[in-house]
Amino acid sequence: MERILYTAAAVACALALATVATGARTATPGVTATEVVIGGTIPVTGVASAYRTVGLGAAAYFRYVNAHGGVNHRKIHYLIKDDQYDPGQTMERTRELVEQDHVFAIFNSLGTEHNLATRPYLNAIKVPQLFVASGATTWGKDYKQWSWTIGYQPNYRAEGTIYGRYVAKTAPKSRIGVLYQNDDYGKDLLAGLRNGLGKKGKLIVSTQGYNVDDPNDQSQIAKLKSAKVNTLMLFSTPKFTIQAYAYARQLGWRPKVYVNAVSSASNIMGLATVGTSKKQTDGTISIVFLKDPTDPRWANDRGIKLYRTIMKHFKGTNPSDVYNVYGMSVAHTFVEALKKAGKNPTRDSIMRAATHLNIHNDPFLLPGIVVRTTASDRFPLDQSRLERYHNGRWRSFGGLFRVR
Amino acid sequence: MRRALGIGAWLLTVAAGLGVFLVLPHLVSDFHSRDLARAGVFFIAIVGLNLLTGYTGQISLGHGALMAIGGYTTAALVVHEHWRDVWTIPLAGIAAGIVGFIIGIPALRLSGLYLALATFGFAVAIPSLLKKFSGLTGGTQGLRFLESAPLQVTGLTGKVTIFGHTMTQNHFLYYLTWSIGIVGFALAWLIVRGRLGRVFRSVRDSEIAAVSSGVNLAATKTLAFALSGVYAGVAGALLAIQDEIVNPLTYTFLLSILVLVGAVVGGLGSLPGLVLGALFVQYLPKISTHVSGRSGVRDFVYGAAIIVVMILLPTGAGGFLRRVARPLTTWLYTRP
Repeated sequence: MERILYTAAAVACALALATVATGARTATPGVTATEVVIGGTIPVTGVASAYRTVGLGAAAYFRYVNAHGGVNHRKIHYLIKDDQYDPGQTMERTRELVEQDHVFAIFNSLGTEHNLATRPYLNAIKVPQLFVASGATTWGKDYKQWSWTIGYQPNYRAEGTIYGRYVAKTAPKSRIGVLYQNDDYGKDLLAGLRNGLGKKGKLIVSTQGYNVDDPNDQSQIAKLKSAKVNTLMLFSTPKFTIQAYAYARQLGWRPKVYVNAVSSASNIMGLATVGTSKKQTDGTISIVFLKDPTDPRWANDRGIKLYRTIMKHFKGTNPSDVYNVYGMSVAHTFVEALKKAGKNPTRDSIMRAATHLNIHNDPFLLPGIVVRTTASDRFPLDQSRLERYHNGRWRSFGGLFRVR
Repeated sequence: MRRALGIGAWLLTVAAGLGVFLVLPHLVSDFHSRDLARAGVFFIAIVGLNLLTGYTGQISLGHGALMAIGGYTTAALVVHEHWRDVWTIPLAGIAAGIVGFIIGIPALRLSGLYLALATFGFAVAIPSLLKKFSGLTGGTQGLRFLESAPLQVTGLTGKVTIFGHTMTQNHFLYYLTWSIGIVGFALAWLIVRGRLGRVFRSVRDSEIAAVSSGVNLAATKTLAFALSGVYAGVAGALLAIQDEIVNPLTYTFLLSILVLVGAVVGGLGSLPGLVLGALFVQYLPKISTHVSGRSGVRDFVYGAAIIVVMILLPTGAGGFLRRVARPLTTWLYTRP
């Protein structure tokens, strides 16, 4: 008799606990009747502060959406935390977002090492890590282990592959030299280049790495020149890319240049041109998937017009900075996913929506590019075009590549 | 009578300090105690640097790199050898102490600016070195505890039970860091008060006079570097435990500068102000971000605040505290 009583009491206790637990679960953190709170880390200051507009552009777009009624009558409240590009601080600030600000999801956090650092934590506590601002392949590839994480932009490996294939096809006698950032980002691009060159891998005659906290890349450029390189791959971030052009000019060296998408924004190419000469940057090749706000081709485009309207009300950033457009595009995708996540979005439903995207109308992407994901295809953006820099602006050529 | 009062006042100050230490996490949000724990990391490193720079007169711009030695020792033991994270702290301290001893050797020949440059070179070189031996250090990706060795992380479930008392992980990190900080502080105080402290100060004030009084200059300088290294190593280990990762980007030379700023603001050659130095380093970036989100403004506020502090408090917070307390201490220690 006593035992039965104990058992009954134990079951009752367990049930009570379970109700409490489910009761707590029905209220999704960060979602109220009027608001959805999301957040992410951006290097607002520090060595990589040039990327801060990736966050600010997204914030500007959310403000526009909020002014037009939000999503399901909820305003999107996007918290940007500065991690100064230090993964240790990314960890701290991400914990702050989750534990103190109780965000619904982590969104658009920037940097490869930085997102790698927070990924185990966010997956363990099942907080969505949405649209990571990094082109590492792992975000799309390793979804079985890290199901709460998804990337956004075309991945670096695929980009390198495009350059490799293009060189192998159009200039099979090149002497290729590579300047790369000595981390996952640079090495991914380099691996892609080797992959794209295939049997022509011998064309690479010199590879020179630099560290992101190095003051400059002068010695690397000198070594590449002395290796008689005539085709220079710049797998480097904006500062080092501009320096590379400048040091090449000082050496009187004008190789054919390929510059990766991270550094190919018009404003950066403009700086590189001003710092050197028109001839130095002319003929540079890169890939493109965003509409460039400085390109006269888009002057009357619906998307870029919208972009300009939004930027007019958003002070503090330079409207010709293409990273703003990137930020708006990723914010646009988040809004679409949130719409699909149901009237009362949960962390499960936003993940389901983010992995079942099919967006044809993103006004900030090149015409024809579709943001598409499925449960087993976690690369939202995998299309781009080649472009050539001529007379101070980019012109795209060839068709849309689907890159993997 | 006054002597008894003096001891009483002293005990009261210590008790009040301990009281604040115990109660503080319960006055702020749970997460905030984690930020306070991070300030504790700076506190430990600053106490160590103060022994070296404030008391022995040897400038070091390389303490961020010594913290890296500590942090990576902890990370390597946790990830590769599956040690529980907190048990690696002593070894991290010893490892950084040894490295501190070694970088103390140039100090035997260099002094002032030249020594500062030599240690600065060490601080600049360490992040690149950490990327080289990627089998051990994880290269540019660094090491991630939660991914490679989650079971070794104390408080993985969010709760920690010690001596039958359960607390959140954030509170645990706060108490762990500041307990070690207080013990380290007490040890530093004992060292400074004792024979060794007098030897340190004699080297700082005049090397020639120190040598002619029988002080072994080489031993003293390298010992100060080693001791200071132990503090930095322990701080680095605690930083790694809090972040649950190590990465070369955390240990750039800016970290060394931050520790030095904290020591100068806290007051070189005094101990009580160092808590304020640590809080300054931890919270100033946040406060200046609140002033304006624009990056230029933030840097400006940061720089301006340091200049203002140096103009108003040329001897740092420690000197300020001494000045405020002077009427009391004079009264207490003067015979009527």
